Amino acid sequence: MSTNTKIKKQNNWTYFKKNYEFYLLLLPGLLFIALFKFLPMGGLVIAFKDFNIFDGILASPWVGLEHFKAVFSDEYFFQVFRNTLLISTYKIAFTFPLPIIVAILLNEVKNMTFKKNIQTVIYLPHFLSWVIVQGLFVTILGSTGIVNQILEPFISEPIRFYMDKSLFRSILVGTSAWKEVGWGTIVYLAAITGIDPQLYEAAVVDGANKWKQIIHITIPSITSTIVLMFILRLGYVLEAGFSQVIVMYNSTVYEVADIIGTYVYRTGLGQMNFSYGTAVGIFNSVVAFVLVISGNLMCKKALGKSIW
Amino acid sequence: MKNTKGEKIFYFFNYIFLALLGVTTLFPFLNVLAKSLSSEKAVISGKVSVYPIGLQFGTYKYVFTNDQFLNSLKVSIFITVVGTLVALAITVFTAYPLSKPHLKGRKTILLMYIFIMLFSGGLVPHYLLMREFHLLNTVWSLIIPAMVSVYNMLIIKNFFESVPESLEEAARIDGTSNFGVLFRILLPIAKPVLATIGLFYAVTYWNAFFEAMMYVSKPELKPLQLYLYELIKQSQKPILDVDAALNLNSESLQSATIIASTAPILVVYPFLQKYFVKGIIVGSVKG
Repeated sequence: MSTNTKIKKQNNWTYFKKNYEFYLLLLPGLLFIALFKFLPMGGLVIAFKDFNIFDGILASPWVGLEHFKAVFSDEYFFQVFRNTLLISTYKIAFTFPLPIIVAILLNEVKNMTFKKNIQTVIYLPHFLSWVIVQGLFVTILGSTGIVNQILEPFISEPIRFYMDKSLFRSILVGTSAWKEVGWGTIVYLAAITGIDPQLYEAAVVDGANKWKQIIHITIPSITSTIVLMFILRLGYVLEAGFSQVIVMYNSTVYEVADIIGTYVYRTGLGQMNFSYGTAVGIFNSVVAFVLVISGNLMCKKALGKSIW
Repeated sequence: MKNTKGEKIFYFFNYIFLALLGVTTLFPFLNVLAKSLSSEKAVISGKVSVYPIGLQFGTYKYVFTNDQFLNSLKVSIFITVVGTLVALAITVFTAYPLSKPHLKGRKTILLMYIFIMLFSGGLVPHYLLMREFHLLNTVWSLIIPAMVSVYNMLIIKNFFESVPESLEEAARIDGTSNFGVLFRILLPIAKPVLATIGLFYAVTYWNAFFEAMMYVSKPELKPLQLYLYELIKQSQKPILDVDAALNLNSESLQSATIIASTAPILVVYPFLQKYFVKGIIVGSVKG
């Protein structure tokens, strides 16, 4: 053994002695992700097999890309894909700008108690489960609910909001706005807080009114945050709100509400088409992965910021 | 500084708009709360808005003596308490080493965590894994899925990185071990962040619904959210509507169950609210 490698070994040993506690601490987390995150990724092979629950993953026969061919020749899959993109796009169109506007308006509030109370109230729905939200809105929109009560003079019979294909997507967008717009303001409020107050003082000296201050100082100062959030949101365009839809939809509105996640759940587990469901799942995971990675790359390039 | 006329109008409408936003947020709660305290007759007639008509507490008495509700409450409390503690411990244990830039293998491990944040094996493989490990229909199938949130871990890691190195060095010179630094130096100053992340985990566990729908079929293991989901689904079926008017699945009873399941979050929320805004900003966007 040469002295060089000896020293290296000794260095390794002292490094380990000094730092072994760090590796011990890392162990539970690593064990967890190995078993419950990476191992299931191995389970993705069943998309290329004719998986049978009695034979197990290893013994099931390989079938190549057969399931993927089935997915891409399935008309209903394209319907589901279309629903996913549509619901997601509606949500972006309506719920992306709202938190920005609310944050700007909140920032203009001088009465701190009022501001704090409003913030406390509008952050709250973020912490509720979709089951609770559904419970609340079923009550309001139900046939004996307050909305139908108010509309009563104008309609012949109660509107069945949850059974109506033309209304269901609006309910999805509306309830998701109710739940998340308040929480969404946090990022923008933080960005606004970072603006140099001298800018506003100078603007006032120049005779700029509130409106001009918002247009020429506030908005330009938070543009980079807005662009960052927008690109990131686009990266998650395939996430149309699985936990929301699975709670809210029903068979009457599948045609407009069924999204990739719910379709995977019903075919993959409900009808036990494990391999087919996994093939749809892989398509979803891979496209989503590519989108998020590209979104983050764009942010890094354009703004020098990223989420990780 | 005096406000111009235009500014006065702006402020006026701004307050009105924000107050309306607050009312819109609160209205569903008030409506459901009022319904839960109203007589069944008033509820069916659709007259109840934000104050109870025909005040009664029988619905709450029924909810809190209902075996299935109480059992589901127990399951939810168990998975929330145990899940939050375990998850918080693992998250802190992972974040601390990864906040040390000199640690060998740090980059690789970080990449692994970021990878699982962005790519998942998907629904079917996760289900098959739980089945293979004989975890279906166990309380662990409700605790394991949410155990490591990479996002939460990164928030704590960023916090540890922001702690001045000199603080740790001083302790190390006194002979404190790496464990000691974590438990005696870092964790005490990390209390607000830990409270925030603890709240996030607790809310995740309390709200977990789909895992239960997928992994659990035994009634005695169903958490509150699943119980509530099934209750709502049942009452939504049109055929049952007439029946429900006379029966236990009545709307005021459902409203009482909704309020009772939301109450824990409503109670804890204001106390922790002051922490989380700070916590989320520390860790959310890296400049």
